[in-house]
Amino acid sequence: MNEPARLHIEPESELERSLLDAGRSYTASSSSRAKVLAALGVAGVTASSTTAASAMAKAGALKWVAATALVAGVAIPTVRYLAGHSAPASSSASAPMASTARASAALPSSASAPAKASESLPNASDPTAAEAVVNGTASAAVRVESKPAAASPLAAELSALDTVRSALAAGNPSAALSGLDAYAHNFPHGKLSLEAEVLRIDALAKSGQEAAAQKRAQAFMKRHPDSMLASRVRAYVGQ
Amino acid sequence: MVAAWPTSALWLPPPAPLATFQRVSRASERETRLRALVDRYLDFVARVLRNAGTPEAEIDDDVQRTFIAVSNRLDDVRPEAEKSFLLQTALRMAAHARRTLARRREVHDSDAQLRIQVPVHTEQLLDQKRARELLDQVLETMAPDLRMVFVLYELEELSMIEISSALEIPQGTVASRLRRARADFRERVRALSALPQAGVGS
Repeated sequence: MNEPARLHIEPESELERSLLDAGRSYTASSSSRAKVLAALGVAGVTASSTTAASAMAKAGALKWVAATALVAGVAIPTVRYLAGHSAPASSSASAPMASTARASAALPSSASAPAKASESLPNASDPTAAEAVVNGTASAAVRVESKPAAASPLAAELSALDTVRSALAAGNPSAALSGLDAYAHNFPHGKLSLEAEVLRIDALAKSGQEAAAQKRAQAFMKRHPDSMLASRVRAYVGQ
Repeated sequence: MVAAWPTSALWLPPPAPLATFQRVSRASERETRLRALVDRYLDFVARVLRNAGTPEAEIDDDVQRTFIAVSNRLDDVRPEAEKSFLLQTALRMAAHARRTLARRREVHDSDAQLRIQVPVHTEQLLDQKRARELLDQVLETMAPDLRMVFVLYELEELSMIEISSALEIPQGTVASRLRRARADFRERVRALSALPQAGVGS
């Protein structure tokens, strides 16, 4: 079939080029990978799985990937991908190792769930959902300690922020702010503190505290101009 | 390295056959496959969702839902069809998000009205955020059928044959929609820059 050249190759204006570039360069958020892996319960290893998985949980990201590659032989592209990504994205690369231990199949991973359920599935990091599954799934071999923060700080962080996000989505910014205060208290050096700050800016703005939101947004942009989260903050910086 | 990673071709060669490593348990196989899927297609899924109309605030959730849907059907999805399956799932997800957004806008349509009116200097260098907003405006005003073909061809660089297969429409329809979509897109971008300049920089 005769295919015309893509518009971005010969854009008719700078504006058109900018718009096409914006569409082509969009990437998932920095925390997205960890969340997806947690949602998939990828490290919710069943009893039958080999030592590879438990060893992996303890190893660093690259070691893990190397082990996977040796065991399964299908992860060569993954190695290449992570090798390229690991340095700048250390937090996201290491995230799933930490988070999946606890998040272990917060959702049913068998093929029995109907596909249409995908639209109404709860957020996997929802603490109640995770808890329900953890309590109810004896076959999930990963032991979950009673104090989740100790077992997997990142999973706990993720779930704390998901609660905040849900509050925001439900139009309850003050609950979101309370959640963020709790997050700051529980995770003073949290790995997702940037994400928390973005949520706080959003929550402040939505609760009518625009000036505070703007001030924080400006400070954020100053400190993290190149952050992937900067695009979300920029809207609150003001004129 | 990273830049060379192929994200645009729809049907990549299938990964090495899992069957050759039968000593590895099924659970571990599944896990490995899911991880590889996420590593390979995370940005692709997020981008398709976004460009197909999912609001920024809902991207993370819908990325999760898309992968969960694939995970639930993993045994039915052939390795060479993974990307296609993710794409179709993401498109359905985005269509749902668009409908929700449209309903919301019916109630609060003043926002949309205001946003459209912001004028743009053609040669103005746009920051990424502003460019994204403008792209959203343009795409939102395109007919959904045209938008889909446009996004898949121009932003994902899928071939017409791949689009025909993903959208389950004849190739001739893809070609005619693409023609109209490109003309429509250009017209809307021109219109953006031709808006009255009053209010710029205020």
